[in-house]
Amino acid sequence: MEDFIYFFSFQDPNVLMVVVGISLLSISAAMVGTFTFLDKKALIGDAISHAVLPGVCLAFMLSGNKNPYWIVSGAFITGALSTYIISWISNYTKLKEDTVIAAVLSIFFGLGIVIMTQLQQTGNAALSGLDHFIFGNAISIVRKDLLVYGILALTIILVILFFYKEFKVMVFNRSFAQSIGLPVKRLEFLFNSLMVLAVVTGIQAIGVVLMAALLITPAAAAKFWTDRLDRMLIIAVVFSLISGIVGAYISFALPHMPTGPWVVIVLSLIAFLSFFFSVKKGVLTKWIAKRNYQRKIHSDHILKALFGAWEKGKQGLKTENIFNIFPGKNFKTQYSINKLNKKGYITENQSIIKLTESGLTEAKRIVRLHRLWELYMTEYMNIAPDHVHDSAEKLEHIITPELESKLDRNLNFPKADPHHSIIPRDPKKP
Amino acid sequence: MIQQIDNPVVEVHDLMVSYGQNPVLWNIDLTLPAGALIGILGPNGAGKSTLIKSIMGLIEANSGYSRIFDQELNQVRNRVSYVPQRESVDWDFPASALDIVMMGTYHHLGIFKRPGKKEKALAMTCLEKVNMKAFANRQISELSGGQQQRVFIARALAQEADIYFMDEPFAGVDMSTEKALVSLFQEMTAKGKTVIVVHHDIYSAGKYFDWLIMLNMHLIASGPTEQVLTEELLTKTYGGKLSMLTDIGELIKKSDFNPLKS
Repeated sequence: MEDFIYFFSFQDPNVLMVVVGISLLSISAAMVGTFTFLDKKALIGDAISHAVLPGVCLAFMLSGNKNPYWIVSGAFITGALSTYIISWISNYTKLKEDTVIAAVLSIFFGLGIVIMTQLQQTGNAALSGLDHFIFGNAISIVRKDLLVYGILALTIILVILFFYKEFKVMVFNRSFAQSIGLPVKRLEFLFNSLMVLAVVTGIQAIGVVLMAALLITPAAAAKFWTDRLDRMLIIAVVFSLISGIVGAYISFALPHMPTGPWVVIVLSLIAFLSFFFSVKKGVLTKWIAKRNYQRKIHSDHILKALFGAWEKGKQGLKTENIFNIFPGKNFKTQYSINKLNKKGYITENQSIIKLTESGLTEAKRIVRLHRLWELYMTEYMNIAPDHVHDSAEKLEHIITPELESKLDRNLNFPKADPHHSIIPRDPKKP
Repeated sequence: MIQQIDNPVVEVHDLMVSYGQNPVLWNIDLTLPAGALIGILGPNGAGKSTLIKSIMGLIEANSGYSRIFDQELNQVRNRVSYVPQRESVDWDFPASALDIVMMGTYHHLGIFKRPGKKEKALAMTCLEKVNMKAFANRQISELSGGQQQRVFIARALAQEADIYFMDEPFAGVDMSTEKALVSLFQEMTAKGKTVIVVHHDIYSAGKYFDWLIMLNMHLIASGPTEQVLTEELLTKTYGGKLSMLTDIGELIKKSDFNPLKS
């Protein structure tokens, strides 16, 4: 708790610096990543985040120290080189892009590891902490680093804001963007450079490989919550900020804890929660909707059974008879009976269930839809009368009043279905 | 039957286009009149889309050129509008119908400027013209195929151009919408605009268009509908590809380079 207050009160200028740094890079990564994600270039982002490693190591080798200018330049050069090589090979050979990406990614990363191992064996003290660049260590950010990485991140953010509408139209519809005279090739080059830069800004705090996650995951999670680009950008930025700052705090509070993996864990948690609980597209929402629908079907079937009895002149059904119609579903049946009772569609008296007046109207409506659809299938789709029941059984629950009246008009307000059962109508309606 | 005219809005001169190694258009040479509703007819793989993509500078030609209003395309881009095929984009993109139509105003705005109230009002009028005003704020993936097509046409209208190239605007559109769109296009041509439409139904083509281009890898006909829509020309267009052109195409595909590219 003491750590927590110390960290988030920002009384230590070093902590403040770390938080500012990680916030800027989280924002820039999420913004670039949103467009990367929508442009289906997630794999390229992954390749870049692996391909910056040899650049970082070569910069170390040539400069002999951890000067951020050298490191950023080295990382940018090999990162950019990898995207160039990927597009060149895909264009000039028949290899598929994913094959090329996988090959280029592992070649660059392997090369990086070789150089790094070689460097570490030289025993140069100035080179200690080189492995921070693999998993990231936000706490090791010093003033000189912040200046370089912060300015880079700010540049990325400003360029995205300036070219927001151009990137939007380019990602949605390239040929249209080209047709209105946008310099699509140059914009694409600019965007690829931003993507490499966004990865480069994160190498020290997050680590080379894990930057791919910070690029793509916030956008992927944000897509669950909105279907507008501007809002998606904002949500992705918020998700990214939360995970960046939490990750930095954990590596501050727990000694020797790398930042990158924690950022990725928090991000994955956010993505996971979005996947389950998003109001519009979440798995939970879909599951609840499906369950409610199945419950409605069951209630509809009980109403239909009662209507069948009513048609034969019976005044309701014994409760146990209703349970017997749906063997093995006692719990579900009891739930539906209670629900129908509450809605006032049925009454239960001395173990006999009867339809109320509104219950009868509702039951008639369901049976009417069933029989209208059966008639439509035999009349318009030339399907034999003994083949239409199953389809009607499913559609009776979903046909809307608009579709119902359309069916009625098309069939010229019929009296009976193909099995000569009367189509029940509501006497109140014309 | 290839009719050339004076002072054309579009001039295509000896145009030759390949897709990768595969030649698709051979020596297309035609001129088109202003203020006409023009249909491009031909079977699948005849190069209909390729022709308008090439005129719009989206595919590089191997040789030949095209001019619009007797100028290079870059000089007159603000007067030219292009409607791509509906399937060419991912409709899951996070945007509303209105957002997409606003894209039609971007080239008038120039870089850095954001669309404002004026652009929004224009976009709404264009949505209204295609009977889609009620769907302005709908997410585009929730629209039906025909509605998406109408959003694309509204975006083209928002460009306020003088000439429109439309790639299969009737694909996935129901009959009543198709008729409404045709009368919208006729209104536009009555005001002097030129509308060029890739189409593949020969029966309706006779009713819709003033001028027809018939294409099957090479140009078969270009002229006023009543002169061009003959059984002889239709057989030439739809009676299979010229086997010689297909053979040559195969030969070029197998070779290591494309000799048609200069």
